[in-house]
Amino acid sequence: MPTYVLGVSALYHDAAVALLCDGVVVAAVQEERFSRLKHDASLPVRSAKWCLDRAGITAAQVDWLVFYEKPLRKFERILTNAVATFPRSYGAFPRQMRAWLGDKLWLRGNLCAAFGVRPERVLFSEHHLSHAASAFYCSPHDEAAILCLDGVGEWATTSLWRGRGSEIEPVAEVRWPHSLGLYYSAITAHLGFAVNEGEFKVMGMAAYGVPRFRAEMDPLLHLEPGGGFSIDMDKFSWHWHASEAGGAKLQAILGPSRFPGTPFTPTAAPHDGSPSEIEECQRYADIAATAQDQIEDAVLHLARHAKAAVGGDAICLAGGVALNSVANHRLAAEGPFADVWVQPAAGDAGGALGAALWVWHSVLGNPRGPALRRADIGRDTPIARSREILEDLGGRPEDVGDSAPERAAEDLAAGRVIGWMNGRCEWGPRALGHRSILADPRQAATRDLVNQRIKYREPFRPFAPSVLAEAADQYFDIPAAASAPVRFMLSTAPVRDAARGQLGAVTHVDGSARVQVVDADSSPDYHRLISRFGELTGVPVVLNTSFNLKGEPVVSTPVDAMASFTRSGLDVLYVDGLRVERPR
Amino acid sequence: MGVFRRAWLTVASEFSWRMPGRPQRLLAAFSLAERGSMMDMLAAVEATTRRDMRRKYFVHALDEGRHAKIFADRVRDFGQAGRADAALEDSGQLLQAGIVGGQTLFERFGEEKFLAFVYVAEADAVEQFNVYLERGLPDDATQATLRTILKDEVFHVAYSRAEVEKLRKEGRAVDKMCRDLRLARVWERYLRFSRDVGSFMSGIWLTILYFVVLAPFRLLARTEPGGWQPAATPGVDRLAAARAEG
Repeated sequence: MPTYVLGVSALYHDAAVALLCDGVVVAAVQEERFSRLKHDASLPVRSAKWCLDRAGITAAQVDWLVFYEKPLRKFERILTNAVATFPRSYGAFPRQMRAWLGDKLWLRGNLCAAFGVRPERVLFSEHHLSHAASAFYCSPHDEAAILCLDGVGEWATTSLWRGRGSEIEPVAEVRWPHSLGLYYSAITAHLGFAVNEGEFKVMGMAAYGVPRFRAEMDPLLHLEPGGGFSIDMDKFSWHWHASEAGGAKLQAILGPSRFPGTPFTPTAAPHDGSPSEIEECQRYADIAATAQDQIEDAVLHLARHAKAAVGGDAICLAGGVALNSVANHRLAAEGPFADVWVQPAAGDAGGALGAALWVWHSVLGNPRGPALRRADIGRDTPIARSREILEDLGGRPEDVGDSAPERAAEDLAAGRVIGWMNGRCEWGPRALGHRSILADPRQAATRDLVNQRIKYREPFRPFAPSVLAEAADQYFDIPAAASAPVRFMLSTAPVRDAARGQLGAVTHVDGSARVQVVDADSSPDYHRLISRFGELTGVPVVLNTSFNLKGEPVVSTPVDAMASFTRSGLDVLYVDGLRVERPR
Repeated sequence: MGVFRRAWLTVASEFSWRMPGRPQRLLAAFSLAERGSMMDMLAAVEATTRRDMRRKYFVHALDEGRHAKIFADRVRDFGQAGRADAALEDSGQLLQAGIVGGQTLFERFGEEKFLAFVYVAEADAVEQFNVYLERGLPDDATQATLRTILKDEVFHVAYSRAEVEKLRKEGRAVDKMCRDLRLARVWERYLRFSRDVGSFMSGIWLTILYFVVLAPFRLLARTEPGGWQPAATPGVDRLAAARAEG
């Protein structure tokens, strides 16, 4: 009888489920792809049902359900923190207690009721242990240092682990309230973006600025000689305020915060703002650039400590901060490790996979399996149902069958922007050629078109390129240590000078790109598409952005795809082997 | 339209539109409701087994998505871009307002009752908008917005009523179904109101608890220092440790 382990992460943000059968990933999906609520944190019941259906089992056949953190330890931290920050936390305390007393404290029972698993089969990992496991067990390394960086788990906000074979042992941790993730989030909020959503926008905005606020901001985030860091908690409020992370003291240092929704029109971006507006925007861009620079320095600082404390040639990263692709690039280019590994769902969703792998390897004592080489381990739809849906919704699908990649490439070469839904959904926030919007990367105007008429997002945000593995070096300067992160679009790389003129739509203002390197083994259809596009245009690179509209999760089903297709300016939609053209 | 409902809508509309700052909030709430409705209609497209209904639900969903945008744009006209963006993008607001969460309407009701619900809800919306327009609330630009949306809502009422009538011909007790749904909608509003009151009351009690019980412990509490700290070593019996919630 095979052993099934169901990993669950939920109740903070990005709820997800991962199902293992004898240690092999059957499926891993985020609840938002079912509920259509971006970053949905609710117990991922729909995801679990889908995973169990895919495995052909019922909940009764699940051997172990493992939640990705220890709820009571987290509750202890919240109570201790409320006492430590008394009386300032008077506003946060009732809110937190309502959430915990109403729901989160009774987690074992709630998990059993929601997923239909017996209480004795429910286990609990630790937040950072789940992160560490998700990075190490998915990596190809038998030995590695593991660095987890996020907002906060139970107590740890940053943790260092040693991975060896099937074992992961803790080395050290930085504890609440000192948190790199929350520091970046506080700056995100100061810059007028939503926390847990706008961090990517800060990263994009940073390229328009220069880090001229280091003198003001370095005392806020202090890198310690012992290899760690501390935050000047007097200037922040995330440890006591109900809804703010920064507050008045931060504004006294950085100036007034940016009002949400204000147009961003710095000197280097397309703009029509007045001189004072441009100056104000430039200040925000410079704050973003400074915070980004600080995070990169901090990641390097922590990695150097990891090298000294753990040794080895490889480092595995996880946690929300590990999704900072610019920091990952600097770690690969300047850091002490020969190889950097980042799991595609490095944020909290990945904790579901990590918790399940931890149970399989560490608790049950099973040996390591193969590394995770593909991210398409999510939801899919049978082709017959896709056809029925597209027909019913008036799509008039043309069955192009196995030639879909070539037809799509021809559409791209003809200047069309396409929605590309192929096989199973990706695991993690990045679209890697399974739920992507694709376009010709050669003209800068395409970027504005996709930003404004298709994705309806801010004009300053860059788009990523997908390049054939065999041509990557010709277009991008990718450090050898970043060969794994670039497969999952988790590292930026400088666009080579000679290629910048050919890649106008995907070269960011600072000359970098968050590149995805595509090989024929792990993404055969996508590889064919880019190859054909290369034959037609001489540039084996396509613009790739996630197939979703602003504020919505990445599409999952043909219905989602048709809804996004119909409401946007996409020219053509591909759903597996079916092609739908926008009526003219 | 019931006399009581009309009276309520009249009073509520005066309160809703004439209070300073309320129009923006109300329009943002409309945007949020339309977005939630779009999600419910798309969930119905996924779940229905009636191929003839799929296209109708889909068109309805697209209308609702467009309405959400139109309302948000109106909020933006009031200089409240942040509120408009939140209504269009922040899923947390949908959950907080109880518009979505848990089961979708289709999962909850099944096809027939879902159709009846669509009819009841859309008819209510048309009545509500008509009261606003009759009373000339709140301003010309918003009235133009409401009129634009009203055209679609009338279509939604028409197709859902036609489906409900088909059910009636098949012998289903649709009048009772619609009546029950109307009562259920009132009951849900009451529950939401009760939850808000409960939340307010619990907030008071928890704040008292905070100041009375937690205060003395402040002397013992300390904040963790920054920098690396030694991590706890895991125990030998990992399964036992994994069973523990703390």
